[in-house]
Amino acid sequence: MSWIPFKIGQPKKQIVPKTVERDFEREYGKLQQLEEQTKKLQKDMKKSTDADLGLLLCCPPGSTARRWDLYEAAGSCNGPRVTRNAMSKAAVKISSDLLSNPLCEQDAAFLGVVTAFDTAMRRMDSFNQEKVNQIQKTVIEPLKKFGSVFPSLNMAVKRREQTLQEYRRLQAKVEKYEEKERSGPGLAKLHQAREELRPVRADFEAKNQQLLQEMPKFYSSRSDYFTPSFEALLRAQVVFYSEMRSIFGDLTAQIGRAALSDELRERENEGRLGELRALSIVGDD
Amino acid sequence: MASTHAEEPLAEDTADHDAHIYEEVMLSERMEHSQRLAVEELITTEASYVHNLQLCLSDIRAHLQKKQLPGLDLEGLFSNIDDILHVSRRFLRGLQDTATQEHEQLLSISTLFQEFKEEMEMVYKIYCASYEHALLLVESYRKDPRLQEEIMDTLTATVPHTSASDLSFFLVMPVQRVTKYPLLLGKILENTPANTSTHEALAAAVRAMTQVNANINEYKRRREVATKYNKAEQLTLRDRFARLNTHSIAKKTTRLSRLLMHEAGIVAKTEDKEYDELEEKFQSVASSVTALKENVASYLQHLEAFLLPTPHRCELQMEEGPAQQYRRFAEHLHRAVFPEFRRRLDRLVWKPLCRLAEMLVGPQQLVKKRLDKLLDYEEIQERKSETGSVTYDEEAAMNTYLAINALLVAELPRFNQVAMQLLGQLLGSFSVLQQDLATEVLHEAKKEVEQMPHGHMLLPAFWRMVEDTLQQSGVQLRTFIQAFETVTPSPLLQPLNPAEERKVLSLVSKHGPDKLYQVTSNVSGSKDMDLTLQRGQIVALLQSVDTKGNTGRWLVDAGGPRGFVPAAKLQPYSLGPSQQPKMQMPALESGTERRRHSYVSPEAPKPQVATFTPAFQVVAGFSFTARSPQELSLQAGQPVVVLEPHDKKGSTEWSLVEVNGQRGYVPSSYLLTVPVQEPVGWSLPV
Repeated sequence: MSWIPFKIGQPKKQIVPKTVERDFEREYGKLQQLEEQTKKLQKDMKKSTDADLGLLLCCPPGSTARRWDLYEAAGSCNGPRVTRNAMSKAAVKISSDLLSNPLCEQDAAFLGVVTAFDTAMRRMDSFNQEKVNQIQKTVIEPLKKFGSVFPSLNMAVKRREQTLQEYRRLQAKVEKYEEKERSGPGLAKLHQAREELRPVRADFEAKNQQLLQEMPKFYSSRSDYFTPSFEALLRAQVVFYSEMRSIFGDLTAQIGRAALSDELRERENEGRLGELRALSIVGDD
Repeated sequence: MASTHAEEPLAEDTADHDAHIYEEVMLSERMEHSQRLAVEELITTEASYVHNLQLCLSDIRAHLQKKQLPGLDLEGLFSNIDDILHVSRRFLRGLQDTATQEHEQLLSISTLFQEFKEEMEMVYKIYCASYEHALLLVESYRKDPRLQEEIMDTLTATVPHTSASDLSFFLVMPVQRVTKYPLLLGKILENTPANTSTHEALAAAVRAMTQVNANINEYKRRREVATKYNKAEQLTLRDRFARLNTHSIAKKTTRLSRLLMHEAGIVAKTEDKEYDELEEKFQSVASSVTALKENVASYLQHLEAFLLPTPHRCELQMEEGPAQQYRRFAEHLHRAVFPEFRRRLDRLVWKPLCRLAEMLVGPQQLVKKRLDKLLDYEEIQERKSETGSVTYDEEAAMNTYLAINALLVAELPRFNQVAMQLLGQLLGSFSVLQQDLATEVLHEAKKEVEQMPHGHMLLPAFWRMVEDTLQQSGVQLRTFIQAFETVTPSPLLQPLNPAEERKVLSLVSKHGPDKLYQVTSNVSGSKDMDLTLQRGQIVALLQSVDTKGNTGRWLVDAGGPRGFVPAAKLQPYSLGPSQQPKMQMPALESGTERRRHSYVSPEAPKPQVATFTPAFQVVAGFSFTARSPQELSLQAGQPVVVLEPHDKKGSTEWSLVEVNGQRGYVPSSYLLTVPVQEPVGWSLPV
């Protein structure tokens, strides 16, 4: 970059052309948002570490989106920290509690049903865990890494800013001397001030240019960067839900009487409840 | 017809004999007649009964229903009178059919009763059990003038021909009717000659209907007992206290002592194995229902919280590709699939489960009450065996216990069985719901995966690919980081003066070269321990955090004073490893290691891959035009080699330097010593 020739007619403050500044702001602005969103996403994902579905639903595709309000991972809202994994664990508890109930000893048929149920739940839970691990590797880690670039970026921008300040200061100094009388010592001072200015200006130009080059590159790299993560997310889902479907398909074949419609089931339940209500020992309200 | 009994022909009593025969014939005729009358009575009363039921239902009740009176409990009043009507109609038809059969009529009637007895028991027991309640309602409505008026109005509108003053006139009919059956049958029976098959049949019918009535009464009693005790009482502490009186205290004390005696083995517990088993099973059922309910609740809670946040519309910057696909997928799940799942779960599992849990209360109360009453019972038994008699109240108490016990023994098995069936059904539904959910999600996911670039890759290959890609991306990221870090810090304009140099040396020796920082702009301390420093000064880092834990404020050693400075105004300052912080380097002349200077403009030769050995480099700070042959012209920024830091006369104002093969003197003040920062230049982007 050549020295920008020192134009006397330039307005006092305007040492950096507006377009340049605007470009810089734009690019940096985009990246600032990107950083914010990456951080937020990472936080949310961390919150639902064990989550899979809950996690995934909260992972906004294109976490790099502008003004992305994230699906709050359950947990980033005020309620209890909820994760799909918590759901998974709750499901396991359903069956394990029943299994430990003395009813199972007393009634063989019941024991059969509950055991099958329990097995299914545990298997689902373990697949769930696998899925979570996979996601940890293919989504959360990369996210972290991506976010780790930002501190360096920010430092660089700060340094540019500092240089800019210095540049401005010296520029003002030069302009001041220029306005004074141009003779003898004044001239020498002016000369010296100019000499001081030059390297600083060069430095600023350098920094500015470099950042202007690198920032867009970084910004556009996000697309390629995150694409595999999303693919991985979806594939992991497919894997998990295939397993889940087959596990519960088996279970239903055993205990569920799959062919019944919802209405029929409801009616059956009503039937039983009605039978119970008809008993005197059951109080009717 | 008439039974012939052995007659002793009395010669002298042919008249008597005739009279006997006549009497007998008359008798049997009378019997026949009475019998026929009784049968007729049965049928006609049944007909009128049915007629009245009809009236009650379709006229009176319908009329009241149309009025839509809010305070009127039609269900409580009329109970299951529809069912009774239904049964009675059929029964009447059956009776009327028998009228055509001459000889077989009585047999048919008996058979009819046998056929209908179960149905009758079922419908009548319900009605009778709630009849008391209905009466209470009628009474309460009588006291409400507005309702009473309405009711009277209805009665006059629908059944003016009766003299009914209130509903009870009609409501009592079924109660009366069912008790009448044994009586009516009995009348027929007594007018039927004994030792015939018809007599047998009729007698059996009478017995059957009597039994039906007994069962109805038993059922009624149980219901009363149950209703009395199966509510869990919500008493406040104050209420409980209010209930205490000597009697209740005494009662409770007795029970308690008895219970203790049981536990201590002093007194034999009344063993009722059948009951105990039943109760145990019931408790297991109750505990599993409760546990299940809790767990499903927690599952639902998690599901709920998970569904709570809603996806927001966003502007994606990743327009196409997997990110967008994923978003579609996630949105669909969130909007449709999961809410559906939750809805079904609610309907098919949660709600029935809650109702089941509610139903536990009644039996649990009764079980508790039974124990109390058992203790009373035993107490009274003991006294009875001592004194030989018991009071009326005590008798009643004993009966209560027996009633509760009988009730529980009769109904608990059914309860347990049905409850368990329901549990099984619920578990089955839960499983189906999970399966359906999985299928839905899978379907959606597969749809999107289809369209993804690597959608058809086999799994192991896919994971490997992802891993590789991520690794590469990691490398790329590192280069970005480097890129940003190589944005050079500002060069400093001031060379280090000797004093500063010495300070730097001492700092290095005290703290080590890696702790040096240079002040990038003037710092003026505002607080107590803050330092005021000039731009360009070198300090050594003592702590990168202040006493309050603020990491933006660092404790530094300024080569004398120590204090805090803002971290933002410091940049790392490095010395060469084997470096003497002196500008005049003979070492510089050793050409072996050209330490390069990092102050470059972007146009400077790019491949300045960092030689990460930091060093000092002297450069021209300003341009200088030589004005004599001994002087040398300089361009600002030019690196120079200092040959001698003074001129021939020893003045340090001038230095002998070499630039581009030329030598000459230049003002020393025009020279800068700048440290080389690492890394050098920009690293190349990806």
